[in-house]
Amino acid sequence: MGYKLLDGIRIIDLAMVFAGPMSSKLLALLGAEIIKIESAVRSDVFTRANVYPENDPGEEPWNRGSFFHTINTGKYGVSLNLGSEKGREVLKNLIKISDAVVENFSPRVMDNWGMGYDELKKIKPDLIMVSMSGLGHYGPLKDFYMYVPGMEGMSGLASLTGYPDEPPLLSGHAYGDWVLGTTGAAALLTALYYRQRTGEGQYIDVAGREAVACHIGEVIMDSTLNGRVRTRVGNQHSSAAPHGCYRCKGNDQWVNIAVENDEQWRGFCQAIGGPTWTKDERFRDVLNRWKNREELDKFVETWTAQHDHYEAMKILQKAGVPSGAVLSMKEVHLDPQFVERGFFEIIDHGKGIGKRPIPKSMPAKFSGAEEFSLRRAPRFGQDNEYVFCDLLGMSRDELKALEKENIIGGIPKFPPGRPTRMDLVEKRGAGWRDPDYLSELRKKHGDDIGKG
Amino acid sequence: MGKKAFSGLRVLDCTQGVGGPYCTKLLADFGAEVIKVEKPGEGDVARRMGPFLGNDPDPEKSGTFFYLNTNKKSITLNLRSETGVDIFKKLVREADVLAEDFGPGILSEIGLSIEVLKEVNPGLILTSISDFGQTGPYRHYKATNLTLSGLGGTMYTSRPTNEPMDRPVVEGGLQAEYITGLLSFIATVAALISRTRSNKGTQIDISKMESVASTLTMHFGEYSYLGVSKRTNLVAIHGYPNDYYPCKDGWMNITPGIGGAPNIPLLMEIPELQDDPLFAKPGARMAEPEKFDALVLPWLKEQEKWKAAKAAQEITLGFTPVLTPGELPEDEQLKAREFFAKANHPVMGEVTYAGAPAKLSETRWQPGKAPLLGEHNEEIYGGLGYSKEDLVRLREQGLI
Repeated sequence: MGYKLLDGIRIIDLAMVFAGPMSSKLLALLGAEIIKIESAVRSDVFTRANVYPENDPGEEPWNRGSFFHTINTGKYGVSLNLGSEKGREVLKNLIKISDAVVENFSPRVMDNWGMGYDELKKIKPDLIMVSMSGLGHYGPLKDFYMYVPGMEGMSGLASLTGYPDEPPLLSGHAYGDWVLGTTGAAALLTALYYRQRTGEGQYIDVAGREAVACHIGEVIMDSTLNGRVRTRVGNQHSSAAPHGCYRCKGNDQWVNIAVENDEQWRGFCQAIGGPTWTKDERFRDVLNRWKNREELDKFVETWTAQHDHYEAMKILQKAGVPSGAVLSMKEVHLDPQFVERGFFEIIDHGKGIGKRPIPKSMPAKFSGAEEFSLRRAPRFGQDNEYVFCDLLGMSRDELKALEKENIIGGIPKFPPGRPTRMDLVEKRGAGWRDPDYLSELRKKHGDDIGKG
Repeated sequence: MGKKAFSGLRVLDCTQGVGGPYCTKLLADFGAEVIKVEKPGEGDVARRMGPFLGNDPDPEKSGTFFYLNTNKKSITLNLRSETGVDIFKKLVREADVLAEDFGPGILSEIGLSIEVLKEVNPGLILTSISDFGQTGPYRHYKATNLTLSGLGGTMYTSRPTNEPMDRPVVEGGLQAEYITGLLSFIATVAALISRTRSNKGTQIDISKMESVASTLTMHFGEYSYLGVSKRTNLVAIHGYPNDYYPCKDGWMNITPGIGGAPNIPLLMEIPELQDDPLFAKPGARMAEPEKFDALVLPWLKEQEKWKAAKAAQEITLGFTPVLTPGELPEDEQLKAREFFAKANHPVMGEVTYAGAPAKLSETRWQPGKAPLLGEHNEEIYGGLGYSKEDLVRLREQGLI
């Protein structure tokens, strides 16, 4: 479900891959009308060409990629070639009737097209434009080629993630891109609120590396206040123990336990039945438990190893001890808290894909706001008629003429649809594979998951 | 001072720690008047969280508190008393937003149920931030950043590269908190935008566990389309290499970018290997990563991170250095963009801290200091009509 909070706001999405599309997906879920622009020569290949249903690229692989579906839910999609002057004219007409533009090209692209903010402002004086990039649109390193590992690495976050004697760890779920895109959405809304009151638009420059650095703001304070540089500590707490991720019964199952004070420690000892080691002098208070945390962790694991991870969480929660099962992707899809609160929306992606649970990227519930059902992510060029004819007032003949000139329409230039390398997943430990995923999902999300 | 995006907006901030205060900090840094309501005598728990200036655990010297409460005002008020709640209602009447993270049911328990709040101020936006949300089987569970990260699904696939596979590891810092703060800010501003047209208030229920999970993006598609979850490791299934590797003075990322890998031999000054499948074909690298490693990593070990990254960037390779938090203030790009902010604090002196998450051309992000505990009691309560004598009396009763 989306909420009609931004009803009547139209946003042009020129962005690709994760960060930019993430920003506009959030806004789509909040009720804005998002028009995603792609072209046959420049479609969102990385997300369109990745991870197909049941590993089958099918006849139109560009309409089957799961990454694209996940982060473009709720948007309209048109095809328009911006490499041509005529294509850019159409885009300018579209911008005239829109409120904002989001883009995440390299910093030079929009200017080279004559579509920098100063130019666009001439045709739409109160336009809001958000540029999302790795290091920002000005400064000596603005042209750095940057991907997620660069954003997380250059922000300081990677240096803090992982175990002390091991390399910095990449997030694995493109967290840097998420922070960049979500910060872009936050900035856009800030500007929109201001525009509503003053009629004034503005330009927004978001650097992913800076946005991520803001998320370790309290760690940076140790450097700026005390000249002390923090590094990787695994799952440890800076002053309390036991605090970590402990092995449970079963294959590759884990529970997090975070005992931060004496009261929780007493609860913990009681909950696990007070074995003799809990009375050990070495663990008598917060300071001593922290000093002797390595030995303590081993003892804690003797208890967790006897329990299922959910069971361990429940036993400890009853005693008021912060604890939580470490959920796999399968478990996230099935967990009662997520399911009961409607974290997933079941969206029908049509023939050959069927219904799949799509996560809420904007997980807030708004009472008092009108709800609406989300559209599935657009097929390539799906909404050309609506956008170019209904919104822009182009005639069907004009549309056809532009199709003939390859400015609108066509089939995306696309690498042959490649299945995911399941051999790497299994043999090389690149991940986990659950062959029963469809039947697992059907248990919680309905018998028709994956059918259609 | 310039234009402020949220000028004239009044926010009552009953959150503490990191997540909630990050939401209201963003409102304050972009110009809202944010009144932080703290417990008399103790204040926000972040005041007891390090790092402390000079390692002195003074509640007015916490770097964590400072960073998360810039540009806010602080008043003290005991909300566990009838008089306290009565005073609070007067504040609610004048407010646009109330942000709170008391936990499910607590507002009603202290006599501030949604019905009561609506009656006092029908246009109020109530942003309720909690670990698991106001509903659901886990709603009363205890949680921390670590446990929320595990339940939110970001830890399970986050495994270091060694074999056999190590245990899951949480992301550095307090990401579950910041994620929630940022999403709460978005939800609140969207509700404010809606209110300018409808004049209606909104109640927002946002959960930290769900906020964490919402960052997983493509992991969801991988599972529900294919039953796969990708592990963070050397042998990626969507391209290789994309990890961090040791160099002479630290660590580097050597993601070549689409079509960039044939330039790696140029950088290494072995141009004869440009056509080698290991560089020319992405699939060959994924199939035999150890061969690629054997060629490239010993060379990388001898390189200085900035020098090598800049040379690589010249030939379109997306190589980047890994920086520690301590290296950020000296970074030339951050300096040119004036990322770090400074503010004067009566106890801490001049404080340097991470600045704007985004550069807005008209309504700029503003630097500012964090408030002392109860610093704005006279100003705020005076505005409600309380005299200095009243405040003395309220203080003696432990109400403020």
